[in-house]
Amino acid sequence: MRVYQLLGTIALSVISALPAKAQEFNWRANDGQSINLMLNNHPWSQAMRDLVAEFTAKTGIKTQIEIFNEEQFRARLTTLMQGKSPDLDVYMSLTSREGAIFEKAGWYADLATMIADKKMTMPDFNYEDFGASIRNASTFGNRIVALPINQEGPLFYWRKDVFEKCKVAEPKAIEDLMPAAAALKACDPSMGAWAARGLRGAVPYALTAFINNLGGSYATPDGKPGLSQPNTLKGLTLYASLLKDYGPPGALNHTFTQVIELLGQGKVAMVHESSNEFANIMRFPGRAQDLGVKVLPPGRDTKISKPVAIGWTIAVSNFSQHKPAAWYFLQWATSSEIQAKLIKAGVAPPRASAFQGSDFNTWVSEIPTRKAWADALIEIGKTGTGVYQSPTDRIPEARDIIGTAVQEIVQGAAPADAARKADEALAKLQ
Amino acid sequence: MAAPAMIFAVGMIGFPIGYAIWLSLSTVAPGADPVFSGLDNYGRLIHDPEFWNALKLTLALYAMSLSMQLVLGTWLGLLLGRSNAARGLVRTILVSPFMLPPVVVGMMAIVILDPSFGIANWLLAELGLPPGLWLSDPKTVLVTVAALDTWQWTPFVALIVMGGYLSLPSDVFEAVELDGATWWQRFRFVTLPMLAPTLVTAAVLRSVDILRFFDVIYLTTQGGPGNASTTLNILAYRRGFEFFDFGYASAIMVTLSTLVFGSVLVLAKLRRAVSW
Repeated sequence: MRVYQLLGTIALSVISALPAKAQEFNWRANDGQSINLMLNNHPWSQAMRDLVAEFTAKTGIKTQIEIFNEEQFRARLTTLMQGKSPDLDVYMSLTSREGAIFEKAGWYADLATMIADKKMTMPDFNYEDFGASIRNASTFGNRIVALPINQEGPLFYWRKDVFEKCKVAEPKAIEDLMPAAAALKACDPSMGAWAARGLRGAVPYALTAFINNLGGSYATPDGKPGLSQPNTLKGLTLYASLLKDYGPPGALNHTFTQVIELLGQGKVAMVHESSNEFANIMRFPGRAQDLGVKVLPPGRDTKISKPVAIGWTIAVSNFSQHKPAAWYFLQWATSSEIQAKLIKAGVAPPRASAFQGSDFNTWVSEIPTRKAWADALIEIGKTGTGVYQSPTDRIPEARDIIGTAVQEIVQGAAPADAARKADEALAKLQ
Repeated sequence: MAAPAMIFAVGMIGFPIGYAIWLSLSTVAPGADPVFSGLDNYGRLIHDPEFWNALKLTLALYAMSLSMQLVLGTWLGLLLGRSNAARGLVRTILVSPFMLPPVVVGMMAIVILDPSFGIANWLLAELGLPPGLWLSDPKTVLVTVAALDTWQWTPFVALIVMGGYLSLPSDVFEAVELDGATWWQRFRFVTLPMLAPTLVTAAVLRSVDILRFFDVIYLTTQGGPGNASTTLNILAYRRGFEFFDFGYASAIMVTLSTLVFGSVLVLAKLRRAVSW
C-alpha cells in the first residue's frame, strides 16, 4: 500500500510539474531541423559563417548559409520572396530602406508574437536593449519584423598627420570643410583632399548629415519633398561642391569600396564614410596611428548634428516552414554573448549592454582610434536618424532621385535647378 | 517522334516568354499576384524619357560595338588565315578573352580604369599623356563600355572569319592574282563578297549578345554616371529588382527581346541576300 501511495505521490508531482515545464524555454526544442539563411556580404555575415557551428551545437538546428554581394543578394531575395518560396527561412534586410515595401508585401514574419511567447523566447532576451532608432525602423504598427544585427552610420575620418603637416586645423564645424579642403589641396596637390560617395543610390546615406547639420530637411513642414528649401540646398551644394572641387576623379562611380580604398592607401586626407568600414580601414598599414574619427561636425550656427544611424537586421521569412527554428537563430545571433564575439570582427553591436560590456571596453581601449570610433558610434546611436529621403514608401527610388540631383550638381548643373527637378520627381512617389 | 522536342520547346522556351509577356500586361506589386492591366505598361514606356534614353544608348552601344568588332575581327581573321606561323598558339591566346566570365572582365575594368588608382592612367602619365575618366565621365562611359566588349569579343569574330576564309576556294584568289589585281581590289571585290555570309553569321551571334549586354555595365557603372550607361537591360533590372516595379520591367524586357528578334530576322534576310 505504501508503495502505491509513494508511486501516486510521484505521479502527482510529475503531473503538477508538467505545465510549468512546458512554459520553459528550451534551446533544444527544434533539435534536428534545418534552416536556410541568405545574407548580404557584410562583416557580420563573414563572422557569422565562422560562428554558426556554435548555434548548431547549442540547438541541434542545422544551417545552410548563402552570402551574396548586395546587388545579387537583393535580386535573389526579391525573386524568392515574390515566388513565396518556402526554401528560405532567415534573410538580412535593411529595414530603413526596404522595410515598408517588404512589410506591405507580407514578406516578414511577425516577431512580436514570438517575443511575447515565453516558451519561444529566452528569458534574458531583453528586446529593449537594442537602440531605439533601429528598433523603430523595424517596427510597423504592432508588428516587429526584424532584429538589428549592427549599428552603423557615416563618420568623418581625417588624416591627423596630413592636417598637422599642412598646419590645417581640425574641422570643428561643417562650414570648415571647404576651407580645410582648399588648404590641404594647396599644401599637397599630390594628395586628394576629400572623398565621399558619388554613386547615385549610395549618396543620400552620406549626404543626410550635410543637409541636417545646416538646418535643412528632405521634407517641407507639410510633408512634401523639400530639396529646394534654402538650408537643404546649402547641404546639397556643400556635398556636391566638395566632390566636384576636391573629390577624386571618377567620384560619381564611387561608393564605400572606392572611398575606403583611397583612405586606406593614403591617397586622401578626409572622407565621410560608414562606421562599418572601420575594421577594413584599420587593416591598411599606418591608419591605426594617423587617423582621426568622429561624427561629422555640426553646423556652426545651427549647432545641429544629425547623421544617419541605421542597422542591418535579420528577419524570418513569412513563407518559412521552420519559423520557430528560424526565430531561435535570430535570438542566438543577436544575443549579448554573440555580439561580444562579433565586436572583435569590427561589427558595432546594436545592444546597449554590449557597448557597455567589459569585452567591448577592453577591445576599444587597446588603440585610441578605436576609442574615438566607439565614442562616435555611441553618439550617433543617440543623435542619428534612420530617415534619409523625403516621405514615401518607395524609398529606393526616392534615394536614387536625390543621388541623381547631387550627380547633376557635380556635373555642373545649378543646384536650384537640380533640386527643383528632384522635388518634382519625388512628388510623384508620394 | 517530334513530340519530345515540341514539349521541350513549349516548356522551356514558350512558357518563360509567354509568362514575361503576361507580366508585361499586368500590374505586379511586391508580394501580390499579377493583375491584368492591358497595355498600361507599354503606355508608360512611350511617355518615359528614361526608356527613350535607354533605347538610344542600347542602339548606340550596338552600333559602336558591332562595327568595331566586325572591322577588327575581319582584319585579325584575315591576318591569321594568311599566316601559318604559330597559328595554334595565336588561336589559344585569342580564345582567352572570351573565355573569361563577364564578372572577371568587369572587375578587371574597375581595377584598370579607375581614374584614381587604376593602372591605365598611370601608364598614360608615364607616356606623358593626360589622364582619362573612362567609365566615370558621362561623355566617355559608353565608348569605354563598347571598347571593353570589343576587347573581349573581337577574337571570337576573328576566329569565325578565319574559319570562313580558310574554307574559301583558293583557285579564285590565284586567278585574281594572275589578273594583277591590287590588294584592295582583291579584298573589295573577291574576299569581302565571298566572306559576306560568314560576316553576317558573326553579326547575328554578336547582335544577340550586344543588345542584351548587362553584366559588365552593371558591375562597372550600374548604369551611371547619371543615366549615361543605362541601357534597356540595366533599366529593366533597376525597375524590377531595385524599385520592385515588375510589370513595367517586364514591358521593357519584352521590348528589348523584340528588338533582338527583329535584328536577327533582318540579319537572316541579309544572309540570304549575300549567299553565293
